[in-house]
Amino acid sequence: MLGFVIGRCLQALVVMLVMSLVVFTGVYAIGNPLDILIPPEAPQDIREATIARFGLDRPIWEQYLYFLLNVLQGDFGRSFIYNMPVLTLILSRLPATLELALAAVLGATLIGVPLGIYAGYRPTSVAARLIMGLSILGFSVPTFWVGLILILAFAVSLGWLPAGGRGPTVLLFGVPWSFTSLEGLSHLLLPALNLSLFKLAMMIRLARAGTREIILTDTVKFARAAGISEATILRRHVLKLISIPIVTVFGLEFGSTLAFAVVTETIFSWPGLGKLIIDSITSLDRPVMVAYLILIAALFVTINLLVDISYAALDPRLRGGRGA
Amino acid sequence: MKQSRASLMLTAAVSAFIFAGSAFAQTLTIGVRGGPESLDPHFSALGTHAEAAKHIFDTLVWSGDNLQLEPGLAESWKSLDATTWEFRLRRGVKFHDGSDFTAEDVKFSIERVPLVSGPTTTTIYVRRVKEVVIVDPHTLHIRTDGPAATLPYDFVRLFIVSAKAAKDFSTKETSAAGFNSGKAAVGTGPYKLVSWEPKGDLVLDRHDAYWRGKSHWSRVVRKEMANDSSRLAALKAGQVDLINYVSAADWVALKRDPKIATFVGDSVYVMNLQLDQREPTPKVYDLQGNALAKNPLRDPRVREAFDLAIDRQAMVEVVLEGLGKPARQLMPEGFFGSSTRIAWPKHDARRARQLLAEAGYPNGFKIDLHCTNDRLPGDGAICQGLGQMFSQVGIQTNVNAISRTVYFPAQARKEYSVFMNGWGTLTGEASYTLGSLAHSMDKEVNMGAFNRIEYKNPDVDKAMQEGARTLDDTKRRALFEKAMELTVADRAYIPVVVLQTVWAGAKDKVIIAPRTDEDTLAYFVKPAK
Repeated sequence: MLGFVIGRCLQALVVMLVMSLVVFTGVYAIGNPLDILIPPEAPQDIREATIARFGLDRPIWEQYLYFLLNVLQGDFGRSFIYNMPVLTLILSRLPATLELALAAVLGATLIGVPLGIYAGYRPTSVAARLIMGLSILGFSVPTFWVGLILILAFAVSLGWLPAGGRGPTVLLFGVPWSFTSLEGLSHLLLPALNLSLFKLAMMIRLARAGTREIILTDTVKFARAAGISEATILRRHVLKLISIPIVTVFGLEFGSTLAFAVVTETIFSWPGLGKLIIDSITSLDRPVMVAYLILIAALFVTINLLVDISYAALDPRLRGGRGA
Repeated sequence: MKQSRASLMLTAAVSAFIFAGSAFAQTLTIGVRGGPESLDPHFSALGTHAEAAKHIFDTLVWSGDNLQLEPGLAESWKSLDATTWEFRLRRGVKFHDGSDFTAEDVKFSIERVPLVSGPTTTTIYVRRVKEVVIVDPHTLHIRTDGPAATLPYDFVRLFIVSAKAAKDFSTKETSAAGFNSGKAAVGTGPYKLVSWEPKGDLVLDRHDAYWRGKSHWSRVVRKEMANDSSRLAALKAGQVDLINYVSAADWVALKRDPKIATFVGDSVYVMNLQLDQREPTPKVYDLQGNALAKNPLRDPRVREAFDLAIDRQAMVEVVLEGLGKPARQLMPEGFFGSSTRIAWPKHDARRARQLLAEAGYPNGFKIDLHCTNDRLPGDGAICQGLGQMFSQVGIQTNVNAISRTVYFPAQARKEYSVFMNGWGTLTGEASYTLGSLAHSMDKEVNMGAFNRIEYKNPDVDKAMQEGARTLDDTKRRALFEKAMELTVADRAYIPVVVLQTVWAGAKDKVIIAPRTDEDTLAYFVKPAK
């Protein structure tokens, strides 16, 4: 197990190194970030002095080495735009996105899995067809359109919920959260719903397919023969056996929601990471782009690791013996 | 009976929840497209940055609604000799912490700029300053590195911070932390800082001792909402009272909404077509797509053909839905150095074709037209429109409307031949624009940094250099007007349209007088009564 974890960590390092190199050369290929940032009316001498001050007149390999040396000391650099240490900037935006992503993915799982199990358990019922129809809608309608429609319906026409932004935050363990108050929740509801639709559809499909398969296996037949109630069978046997793919998807979806909830965050003016990365791309804020993508790579590797470990907990067949 | 009372209470509760925002009539909530990058006013020269800073800080010289110079923290200024300006400061001005504003704060602020300036460098505002001499607590002498006629214009974005509060937060490493936390963000402006986070809300409280008189709004919240539709939805839902940068399509629809008032103002941005004067030029081809023997853009007849091909009226009416005006010079009408003698350009496709034939291109040629599509309202659409108009006279145009992140670096590397972007004359006078664009690129005199088409007219150069040295306003104005007329006549830069900007607000709550620099300043937003 330990060897497995160490292997994964090394893998993560390589991924992060490659990521930093790709972003660095990518931005370099577009051009000098300062060509966008320097005021257009700046005369020659100020232009050159500013470029030199940020070390951008050096060859690219020198800039990259300098960056790596700093990262080894835990310094990802300062944002060109905000003049803040990049890590501080990213961490200050993380709670907002974490809250939104958790609400969306958890909501989708808690609603989607029972619906999916039902649809798999009674595939011919009217309710099951309705559920499956809904899931097709969730898959096929684009997120930004649904977001705008949600705002139009619930904020503009009905006036029940706010049209965007994050509610008031409360410090909990030193981190500002907004889900603790009613107003915070009212701000969270629409964007979370918007983000979760696609995931909900996916969870329904996964749970349904798993249930259809498991319900025909010997395990269930024997359980029924032993006189165990249907509800217990579904809860204790079916749910457990279909959970491996669901946990995998949960992990991956959670990761990608954290990293790339850009569309929803933009439409709902949610002050999260997605907006930060898009803004840093449109202003060529290289330090933020590089650090962000490196951290996202680290995040995905960690999530995958956790998912792998939870397999072992969920399925005794994967435990022990074969080392991984 | 019992039931109806319960439902009544429910209704009351729900409406209290919905109208929670409007219960505080003196709170003004604004949805803005962009906000500050830091609360250190000296960090960035970006327009949205300065806009936010104007809520907390003041400048020596104020630029009015139409960018005319007005007294700010300085009551008056005059040049004593070729290299000395005298500024007399306003008396009785108080900082947010109650301390007095004096010449010490001005000297501190000017000297602080180079220490904390970021990549969007604010050093441009103090580059001419050699020395700041305090004569008495309310008089300053500024010595410049040569005759600096436009120094007062440079100072409209030079914010004055408190020397006492910002003393320990004046290095690159400490400035953001000190100002963003509010410790150093002590100004003389109309509002005190309550809180701010990057890309989030800027919350401000009224500064009761403000020297212009206290603001009508006891609290101002500026919410950053980058997405145009979200901003509009927030206004319609009553979440914000005022929004800026309403798109042309939304503006047309909003005019029919009885609860919303719209405000249209001219902007400082002029869309300019730029024609590369180098030999050879990279992105002009013959009809088969091969390189041409010589650069046709150097032929004045070809440049005139480009000018005549543009139907500016159609551009304004069709492409911009009426939100713009035809342009005849490189800055808006009425700015210092704009000329009234320039003829309004005409659209004449037949004459354009004739000119191309005379220049030796009876069948035209091919160009790549490059422009931004995400910087200013309508930029991509104007570019598409230009492409069609050029194609009509025989210049086959391949339109590339791209992101500014790609456009500006490539333009700086001089990879384009025919390109268009907006240029805003943010100081309201011509040296800002012509000094960067029309003067030939010349390190000796430090001008022409944005002249990326290598345009050079010795007479324009001479007029601009002389203008920069001329302290007499009338003479300088005449020199700038001449430079503008000469530049426009050469048609290497072809002005297309002046853009207009739209604000929208709750009709029963706000009235705003549009500013040419597009700033949305809470202090000048009036309550609708």
